[in-house]
Amino acid sequence: MNLQGLIFQKIEHRIIAGTVAFLAMMAIIGWIAINEPGRMASFEQQYLARSIERGAGLFASNCTECHGTDGRGIVGRAPGLNSPYLFGHDFYGAIDRETSNLEAELNNPNTTEERRTEIQTRLTELQTERAAIGQRLATVSTIPGYYDPESPSRLTNLAWGSTLYNFVYTTLVHGRPASSSYWGQPMAAWIQTGGGPLRPDEGQDIVNYILNWDKGEDWTVEDLLAVNQFPIRPVDPATVVSGDVETVGTDVAAIVAELPSFQGDPQNGMTLYQGALGCLGCHANAQIAPLTDGTWTRVQEVRLQDPAVQALLPEQTGEAYLAFSIVLPHDYLVPPYGPVMTATFGAQLTYQDLADLIAYLRSQDQPIQ
Amino acid sequence: MLLMVWYTPSPEVAYSNMLAIMSNVPLGQFMRDLHRLGAEAMVIIVTLHMLRTFLTASYKKPRQFTWASGVVLVILTYFLSFSGYLLPWDQLALWAVTIGASMIEATPPEIVGTNLNLLLRGGPDIGANGLLRFYLLHVLLVPALLFVFTGVHYYKVILHGHSLPPKEENIGEDTAKRVPLDKRVYFIPDILSSEVLWIGVTSLILIVLVTWFFHAPLENHANPQSTPLGTTAPWYFLWIQGALKLGDKVLWGIIFPTVFLVFLFVWPYVDTAPSRRWAHRRIQLTVGFVIMSTLVIFSYMGLSEFGVVNSADVTIMHHLTMEPAHNHMGILRPVPYEELVPGQYTSREFAVEDSREAASAVAALNAEIDAEIGAAIPRFMNIEGIPPAATLDEDIRLYMETQHLPLTDLNFVTAPDAAPELRAVLEEFAHEIELHEDELYHGWGGVIITEVQDGLKRIDVFIYWQDVVVENGKVVYGEDGEPIVRLDENGNPIPRLNAQHIFIHRDSQYFAAPGT
Ligand code: HEC
Ligand code: HEC
Repeated sequence: MNLQGLIFQKIEHRIIAGTVAFLAMMAIIGWIAINEPGRMASFEQQYLARSIERGAGLFASNCTECHGTDGRGIVGRAPGLNSPYLFGHDFYGAIDRETSNLEAELNNPNTTEERRTEIQTRLTELQTERAAIGQRLATVSTIPGYYDPESPSRLTNLAWGSTLYNFVYTTLVHGRPASSSYWGQPMAAWIQTGGGPLRPDEGQDIVNYILNWDKGEDWTVEDLLAVNQFPIRPVDPATVVSGDVETVGTDVAAIVAELPSFQGDPQNGMTLYQGALGCLGCHANAQIAPLTDGTWTRVQEVRLQDPAVQALLPEQTGEAYLAFSIVLPHDYLVPPYGPVMTATFGAQLTYQDLADLIAYLRSQDQPIQ
Repeated sequence: MLLMVWYTPSPEVAYSNMLAIMSNVPLGQFMRDLHRLGAEAMVIIVTLHMLRTFLTASYKKPRQFTWASGVVLVILTYFLSFSGYLLPWDQLALWAVTIGASMIEATPPEIVGTNLNLLLRGGPDIGANGLLRFYLLHVLLVPALLFVFTGVHYYKVILHGHSLPPKEENIGEDTAKRVPLDKRVYFIPDILSSEVLWIGVTSLILIVLVTWFFHAPLENHANPQSTPLGTTAPWYFLWIQGALKLGDKVLWGIIFPTVFLVFLFVWPYVDTAPSRRWAHRRIQLTVGFVIMSTLVIFSYMGLSEFGVVNSADVTIMHHLTMEPAHNHMGILRPVPYEELVPGQYTSREFAVEDSREAASAVAALNAEIDAEIGAAIPRFMNIEGIPPAATLDEDIRLYMETQHLPLTDLNFVTAPDAAPELRAVLEEFAHEIELHEDELYHGWGGVIITEVQDGLKRIDVFIYWQDVVVENGKVVYGEDGEPIVRLDENGNPIPRLNAQHIFIHRDSQYFAAPGT
């Protein structure tokens, strides 16, 4: 008490000192308040940056296996995410916008003749530019999956009604359980709310990382062509079979009798095998399913020599075995694999598809490893 | 009170609430800082007050019970602070509290300890239940108790008056009540007005501190799966953590603190000698100082630096890459983004005496890793189905691939001159490997920087060395004074590699931690 008494003996002095302290406090708080918007913005920017860092780590350890270390996808395994398609970049966008503006001007009766000729020249120019881009985009059709430069947004094609952020996050929450019919291994749920291993905030980190691939207007054709695998469009004609198209079913004897009337195209078979049907997703290495390389050699030298197989086939030919093992994959299991191959191909494939697939697999006559 | 408006005690949202407070609530960070600093200041002030009371022996008759109620207040203050620790639900919170709560688990007999622990944490691990319980302790129970005991304490203080400084009093007399009327200090208006004044002044000091000097830490989201290296209890419980390192959990974690508290409570009833003068209290003061020094020493021992041995490679990695925590961070993080030029660098460049030899040291290393490894020499990557690496270069790259870093070639270059801070880190890296040259036998390090995305770089750090015999964290030396190199069945040294990576974003603003 002595100490306090010494400093401010009189009560008036205490009141003055207290008031001064209070005013000083208010001044500092006011000063902080003025600087708050700047501080909050910089905190947010910093936080987003660190979220991206954590997301990068999580993506590397959880997602690169299927989507590739560079996020450009792996053929037959999973689509690219580091791709102009996911971000909906329209390579024709600028040209098409200018074209439609000019056309609107042409339709305007007030436009002068002079201006009209100007517009016509520009329109021809634009057309040439468009064709040039189309030329450069032509090779995109060799990349498996669905991509159409005229319809360049994944979200629009899926009629997704919300943001890209939510699209990616929802995919992470639920996975893609329904896509096992066209991907070797469907994507599992990743977030705890959907039964996965990651916390919601970790999911947000990953999404922030994925969205950081966006280049906005700066996406190039090279970026597009660097993608290894595009996603599957749900209405892909190769996978969706409407009522009046005849599918092969699972009666192997009938199939074998019918097949010779179809000419198989190995090129087309390869596209189906690596892309839409997702066969390669499992048959990529010998881990999940037998290796694609050497399939035909194995069929000739091993399977057809096996009495257990012989007993199951209507006739002892390689084509019959392939048809059989595609539509009834679980009736004979290639050791040491289990019954994991999709068993519904009989209800999906047309005769032409099956003939194409068999033609492709016939070309896989490398020596057995 | 205000902070409660924006907070929900649930593991799913607690942390994002914190972020919202920091990023969306005007003055949010200010309030948080003030709250945190105020809490720490209260712990300090209460402790100092107790110390003062002890030194001036103000606890003596008739104020024994005032002292006891004060001890309760000290304990409650500690628990108020401790229960608040968990609420932000970041790594610091989770692990500090986990350590604190596990001390409680040691209470004998086992059934009591386990159940006390369960009661507090709300489950075997701290999760949603534990968070809610700590929140309720923090905002309801502990404050309510604190309120009650503050009442008791004040009542006693007013009843007995403040003690006078020992020198002004006759031995054995309590003169506070006999001070002439005109010299007495009355509660109203004197003590009240000066308390208001001091509240004003301390608030001002705190505000100045949080504005320019102190920011409440917020680390990464709590992750029960990853224990950060070097976790400690809150500093005011460090003495218990230090005591725990002495041995038995029950003895040091429970019995020792309990005995200490009981001792505090009964002290005024034990020390009944009437005199309050220092000269007459030699024994008591000595006991007091011994206890205080013990607490300081124990607290020091509680620090993670003390008594916890990590292997040299882990320590060095940690030093380079650690996430910001406890006012420290890996020295790579604050390197300016532009200086992180993509490339492959090595500690060898900086392990030479003369900087003119740096380039040739790097070239020599490149030649070394590209040389064929003989068939007999072991690789550290032994993957089934993949033939063993032909060169060390390939061996390391195979390893990096498991870390999702595909490399087509290892080819070290000298670090750019325009990157002085990166060079300083590499130099430090080389220096630390050299410091541990016996444990990291023939060791050298690499730092690989790659650009992952626009504005995002990845830094891989690795150390390569030959395994030596290490016991209890100490290298074992052979008769020739050299470390004993471990050999495989063919008599070849066994190679070891430790690699770690971090990502750095352009806007992450890792600035050098205070004091480094
Ligand atoms: C087992 C392989 C696998 C793993 C691992 C995997 N995915 Fe996928 N992912 C897929 C497949 C297959 C698809 C396509 C599903 C479809 O088309 O329905 C897909 C689709 C996606 C899509 C939607 C793309 C689009 O255009 O529809 C996103 C986003 C995505 N994955 C993100 C991730 C992230 C992030 C991770 C890591 C946490 C991850 N994936 C891990 C296989 C995987
Ligand atoms: C979900 C993973 C999976 C998918 C998708 C898949 N397979 Fe298979 N496939 C397997 C497994 C596992 C085996 C081996 C076990 C068995 O015989 O069923 C196998 C076996 C086969 C065999 C027999 C190979 C041999 O060496 O005898 C053929 C042929 C075959 N698959 C073709 C296809 C074709 C064509 C597709 C696409 C239309 C396809 N698979 C899609 C998993 C898959």
